[in-house]
Amino acid sequence: MPKYAMVIDLQSCVGCGACSIACRNENNVSDGIYWSNKITETYGTFPNVRFHYMPTLCNHCSDAPCVRGCPTKAMHKLDNGITMHDPDKCIGCRYCMYNCPYEVIYFNWQDPHKFWRDTRAVIEGGTSSPEEMIQKVNSGKGTPYSNPARGKTLPENRPKGVVEKCTFCDHRINAGKIPYCVEACPADARIFGDLDKPDSQVSRLLGKFKPYRLKERLGTEPNVYYIRSYNPARYERTKGGI
Amino acid sequence: MKAIKIQLWYGLLLLGILLGLLTAYRVLISTGFALYAKTDILVWTIPIAAYVFFSLTSTGLAFVSSIPVVFNANRYQPIEKRTAFLEISVLMAAFTCLLLHLGSPWNAIYFLFSPNFASPLWWLGMLYGLYFIVLLLSFWRMHTAKTSKALGIFTFIIAIATSTVLGWLFGLPDARPVFDANFLAMYFPLTGFASALAAVLLFSLAYHSFAKVPLSEGDKNLYNDISKLFGVVMAFTLIFFLWRTIVAGISASAVEFAGFRHMLGSGWYHLALWIGLVIPLLLIAMPAVRNATWGKVTSAALFLVGMFAGRLEMVLSGLVMPTGPKAEGQPPFVSYWPTIWEVFVFVFALAILLLVYTLGERNLKLAEVPE
Repeated sequence: MPKYAMVIDLQSCVGCGACSIACRNENNVSDGIYWSNKITETYGTFPNVRFHYMPTLCNHCSDAPCVRGCPTKAMHKLDNGITMHDPDKCIGCRYCMYNCPYEVIYFNWQDPHKFWRDTRAVIEGGTSSPEEMIQKVNSGKGTPYSNPARGKTLPENRPKGVVEKCTFCDHRINAGKIPYCVEACPADARIFGDLDKPDSQVSRLLGKFKPYRLKERLGTEPNVYYIRSYNPARYERTKGGI
Repeated sequence: MKAIKIQLWYGLLLLGILLGLLTAYRVLISTGFALYAKTDILVWTIPIAAYVFFSLTSTGLAFVSSIPVVFNANRYQPIEKRTAFLEISVLMAAFTCLLLHLGSPWNAIYFLFSPNFASPLWWLGMLYGLYFIVLLLSFWRMHTAKTSKALGIFTFIIAIATSTVLGWLFGLPDARPVFDANFLAMYFPLTGFASALAAVLLFSLAYHSFAKVPLSEGDKNLYNDISKLFGVVMAFTLIFFLWRTIVAGISASAVEFAGFRHMLGSGWYHLALWIGLVIPLLLIAMPAVRNATWGKVTSAALFLVGMFAGRLEMVLSGLVMPTGPKAEGQPPFVSYWPTIWEVFVFVFALAILLLVYTLGERNLKLAEVPE
């Protein structure tokens, strides 16, 4: 069985957000929910400031606190290391959100894509309403740009009252493809592969650069690794002073 | 005149239940949880705080009702049956809050078909289910004028298990060390017991007042004893409360405790400390006030109000500080004020509690002493 992991090369990442947009398209992610997200930080005081961008997603921890806490095994591990969620078993208690140290699980507080249920025309007498459009394009379900392939292992659009999160695009992996955020990254900053294969690109990168993972001290064994750091800045060499 | 008052009372309770049913329809079927003041940061709010409040009060009541059989303290027998029925009523209120907290409560069937033994939430669900069944059996035995020692002891053990497992549930995540499982496993049973003593005083004295049953000398002595015990347990609660403030709020410097430090300045915290602990403790410490009915009722009512605020403050203290990607675009601490629908959840639970209890008081002879 493979053990899937992702390496994010922060030297290559330009913070364009293409991963997040690709993720939304591929997984029909609703408004307010972010399977692929980011942490941005600003250091220093103007004019000596620096902006730091770190892409985030579910870490698919080997010892996942969300899986440990879920009372009905709705949140569970697959043999290939992916942390998967079954909305049919989810009671909507949000204990996984409470347990997740990485804040990457989201709850469907209301019906997904509610803006596409609006019955008011965008321009009165000029355009159709979102509801009319969705009826014609996609039989009233999801969005006009819904990806039916997502429905192979999860509901195409997750209903209200259950949680959802990144699945490493398990439906694409089953079809022999890499996750769509990896595919879409224009800088090849995301590298996906099998940690059990010593010659896989992820194994080679982890051997070549000193990787780190988020909140490693918690012992959750995340399977998303970060390497390198983008910083082209130069500075005048001095010893400082008093 | 009495009949009108009773009809008015039932009318009020039915209004509370109707508001609750409307909330249940809108939250679970039509609109969703967007009706609550919940966000991706504040994932648990009033419904879960109310659940903790009611469920711990119920387990505390189990300690009180078990006193005659577990500790052979026969002077507590006159309140045994009322306390046992109150446990059931309060637990039903707790279940109501839980129902309106869960996004998909119908999937709870998977507690049976897909159990996760590593999850404290699974253990809690199963224990509360068992607890409810044992309570019904235990009360039925009392209603048939007999007390079962075995059932009494069993209820006592399950009550300890449920309240400590609730501490495990809150304290499980390493990511939220502000909830310390070891501390909560002691604090929850203790505060549940204190809440139960307050509830016993309130409901028993309400019975004497509304049913116009004068207090006998034995009743007075019993309620004075309970008030003294209430004062002692309340003092221990205050000590634990202050230690939590010192350890996790003042001396801890880790960033994970910042949420609690922030809550130290909140109205919920001060309501819990001053209205819920300091004032009732001062009242109950004065013998003249403690022995007066108004003193008992006032201190018990204030304690319960403060305890509810304390439960909410505790839940919020682990959540108010956004972290990770969810902190993007957020202030360092998020504020919370409940929506009217969240208030209706509490009103719904309280109305169910009072309706079930009123029906029991009128039909099940709760003042009877089982053999």
